[in-house]
Amino acid sequence: MKKEISESRIVFIGICVVMMATSIFIFTKSLSQERSSISNELFAKKVSGTEAVFPDIAQEKEVFALAGKAKLLGKQSTYSSSERTLSNFYKRRAYPGAPPKIPHEVQPDMVGGNNCLTCHDNGGYVAKFSAYTPVTPHPGMENCRQCHVPETTDALFQETDWNTFDPPEIGHSALHGSPPPIPHSLQLRGNCLACHGGAAAVREIRSSHPERINCRQCHVYMK
Amino acid sequence: MGNIKRRKFLKKTAAASAFSATSGLYPGIALSNWKASDSLTEEIQWNKTPCRFCGVGCGLLVATSNGRAVAVKGDPESSVNKGLCCVKGYHTVQALYGKDRLTKAQVRKNGQMVEVPIEEALDLVARKMQETIKEHGKNAVAMYGSGQWTIPDGYVASKFMKGAIGTNNLEANARLCMASAVTGFLTSFGSDEPMGCYEDINHADAFVLWGNNMAEMHPVLYSRILDQRLKKKHIKIIDLTTRTTRTSYADDKSILFKPQTDLAIANAICYEIIKNGWTNDEFIKDHCSFKTGKTNIGYGLEEKFKFSDQATSSSYAEFKKLLNDYTPEKVEKLSGVSAEDIRYLASIYGDPKTKVMSLWCMGFNQHTRGTWINNLVYNIHLLTGKISTPGNSPFSLTGQPSACGTVREVGTLTHRLPHGVVMNEKDRQFAAKIWGVPVENIPDKPSNHTVEMFRSLDRGEIRFMWIQVTNPMVTMPKLNRYRKACEKEGRFIVVSDIYPTPTTAVADVILPSAMWIEREGMFGNSERRTQHFNQLVPPPGDAISDAWQIIEVARRMGFEKLFPWKEENHIEEIWKEYRKHHAGAKHEMAPYEELKKRPGIQWPYVNGKETKWRFNTKYDPATKGYDPEGKESFDFYGKKDHRAWIWFRPYEPPPEIPDKEYPFWLNTGRVIEHWHSGSMTRRIPILHKAVPNSYVELHPADAKEQGIYNGDPVKLTSRRGTLTLPASIDQRGRPVRGQVFVPFFDENYLINELTLDAYCPISKQPDYKKCAVKIEKG
Repeated sequence: MKKEISESRIVFIGICVVMMATSIFIFTKSLSQERSSISNELFAKKVSGTEAVFPDIAQEKEVFALAGKAKLLGKQSTYSSSERTLSNFYKRRAYPGAPPKIPHEVQPDMVGGNNCLTCHDNGGYVAKFSAYTPVTPHPGMENCRQCHVPETTDALFQETDWNTFDPPEIGHSALHGSPPPIPHSLQLRGNCLACHGGAAAVREIRSSHPERINCRQCHVYMK
Repeated sequence: MGNIKRRKFLKKTAAASAFSATSGLYPGIALSNWKASDSLTEEIQWNKTPCRFCGVGCGLLVATSNGRAVAVKGDPESSVNKGLCCVKGYHTVQALYGKDRLTKAQVRKNGQMVEVPIEEALDLVARKMQETIKEHGKNAVAMYGSGQWTIPDGYVASKFMKGAIGTNNLEANARLCMASAVTGFLTSFGSDEPMGCYEDINHADAFVLWGNNMAEMHPVLYSRILDQRLKKKHIKIIDLTTRTTRTSYADDKSILFKPQTDLAIANAICYEIIKNGWTNDEFIKDHCSFKTGKTNIGYGLEEKFKFSDQATSSSYAEFKKLLNDYTPEKVEKLSGVSAEDIRYLASIYGDPKTKVMSLWCMGFNQHTRGTWINNLVYNIHLLTGKISTPGNSPFSLTGQPSACGTVREVGTLTHRLPHGVVMNEKDRQFAAKIWGVPVENIPDKPSNHTVEMFRSLDRGEIRFMWIQVTNPMVTMPKLNRYRKACEKEGRFIVVSDIYPTPTTAVADVILPSAMWIEREGMFGNSERRTQHFNQLVPPPGDAISDAWQIIEVARRMGFEKLFPWKEENHIEEIWKEYRKHHAGAKHEMAPYEELKKRPGIQWPYVNGKETKWRFNTKYDPATKGYDPEGKESFDFYGKKDHRAWIWFRPYEPPPEIPDKEYPFWLNTGRVIEHWHSGSMTRRIPILHKAVPNSYVELHPADAKEQGIYNGDPVKLTSRRGTLTLPASIDQRGRPVRGQVFVPFFDENYLINELTLDAYCPISKQPDYKKCAVKIEKG
């Protein structure tokens, strides 16, 4: 008897979530025009505002940083011979959430300067690597190599006993087809489309609907 | 904590949903390269700690699981870094897990290091110390600590050496990195550590970096500056440097000057400010005194060199007259900086509407006139009244996580006490009372500063040295001499560390230490911020904290009454005792309970309030006329006359200048990837893989002249040593013609075998930035 109640409660909650998601979806569509103008305004503020907003905790407006490109991202062909995969994504990080290393050669400071953002701010196809450039999830930061460093050797100075935890599992929707929650911290990763939108996105976590720019309307970060 | 809940929730929802079809939606996720531990459960906890590395003192959140640290993120609650770290910070926790971690004590037996139970090693250390004191006197034993000591470590060391044993042979490696900043503060203001804070970055209009490659050395603060420039377009960042760096490229203007001429440039800026009437005369009249000191003060190269400065009262008129030697045109000839650029700098400092922040670190401090150049930059800020107000801030940066907290505040230097100096009877009485020792225990004369301490070891006056959390066999200048000193017959060296290093190689006893989050502690950063961290993971093997090692040895020597604390709460008890030394509005430290709760608290912490700008009557409760609601005024209470002192300090040349035989300047320093002597960062895979070894940077024209290409072996020779290492041409940095640069982190390329042990006679801090070498294709 008790068991039945708890199961029916879960089903009830599930149905509510589906209904909410559906209504939000319909609402979004009808307001899409309006929303994009709102988001553009937010984006403009971020660039020209004089408030001291050193990037800290994920800010709601970061979500819209790539809003202007959302439609384009949705139309990008996702075929690429060097498509990003989750396996590679994590191979470049010491632990889930660590800043990735730079996987390609970079110009020395005294030759090329610090021009990472030429490619990583805007994205796009790079013939040299036959790949779409991953876009930074934290635009507005200039000292890239403060956190990201290239590899010049495979050798280690000393062996390490380092272990870490598993990457977050993905796809945990409460119900079939309902929007999955966000399984990772949003710190410095508030700009969802950077990793989840378009051809540069990691295959397994690529969004099917990057044009719906208000990601956190449906996907929530479970603290 | 949040994570456990979230993960459990996710698991639950996944299980509850009959339609969940994860594997179907995301097929083929094979994370074959992912090295995850099977033993790790889902229990992940995030806890705050300051970063282990530099003096910026970023707040981190470290994830732990099953007794291991597994991840890091920047602490968004920390006002220092606001959630951002640098590449070292993000990977700090990996420094705990090098496979060659020292987990057992070792003792030299018949020339070989043998593993022994730690109790046996501690017995030996105590016995050896007692024997040495009995045979050669108290001043034959010495302790050499570190700005990487936690505050309790340093406090226990001070109480042990000065209070219990009764010798002032206590020094810390901050002598090699911060001493000139300290003497700069003391001579100008009578009170150590910056008057401003990092928040000045949010208010300043211009940033002048004096010999400071901030993009690599203080990257998080530099990013805060860049962030401001992005938002306020008028902001200017100016780089004054002897070598083109990453910072030069990012800044708005980069000005190259010849080594040592910063002294003349600062004076020329003052000359120009006065000449153009850009001085704040009211501020000068009300808050400044003029002084002159001794000149031709030497370089400390002689054995047992002694110097003490003398302040002579001077006047504004005399100061102006003395500056006549420093016209922009005259200084142009000396420094290589155009008179136009000098005037440009003066105009920035001189514009009353521009708030200026000056920043510096080793370029000023590792300088045979380190105290002087610190004084000179304060002169610029004092003449213009741009000080102690939000955005107007001469700011001395630090290199080690607790150089301020442990060395400067606890006073782990030969002449210092936690409050005051050993030379002052009242200060000795005050310390002795809190320590519960007879005042006669504390000798009234300083003994050996760091360089002299190693010279004493060489001469045989010191016979026993205990080295903790530092690696002098990589970092001492003129290294060959001091390594031989350690290896001499009749010297006994104890080293507490976490990995084998060139210093453990000369040890007679190695004690394995618990590092950072393997024990509880506090660090104090560059902006007077004390930051507490809990023990988050257990230390490996027999490792114990540096403080507890000292306590164990002290108890074995019969001082158990002075160190009565229980292991469970000794850090809390030590903090409570230590705080007594700083009671009062000028230096009040936050209570233990508050420190535990918050990501750092700035002192003076008075009536539950941090003091952001000292000497300013609006912010600093120690000032005469303190009124948070009133108009800004100033009280430089560090000096008896309640004034800041403007010192006339001339240009004097360095002791060793390139000549025909040794025609190049040798400059040493760091890279962003490595920290200090590299014993931790080189064991972090991503950092080692990025910069696996040291190198010598040459100017492309110099390299071409010698037929040297990138990567070629280059032999460097100074009057003290020789080293062959690969050439680096136009890579990370570009020295000016006639100069080479070598990072010092690499124990396989010991550049300090070439450097000179000349030091600032006032601060006794060596100059690692200037000596003469010749270069040959290797």
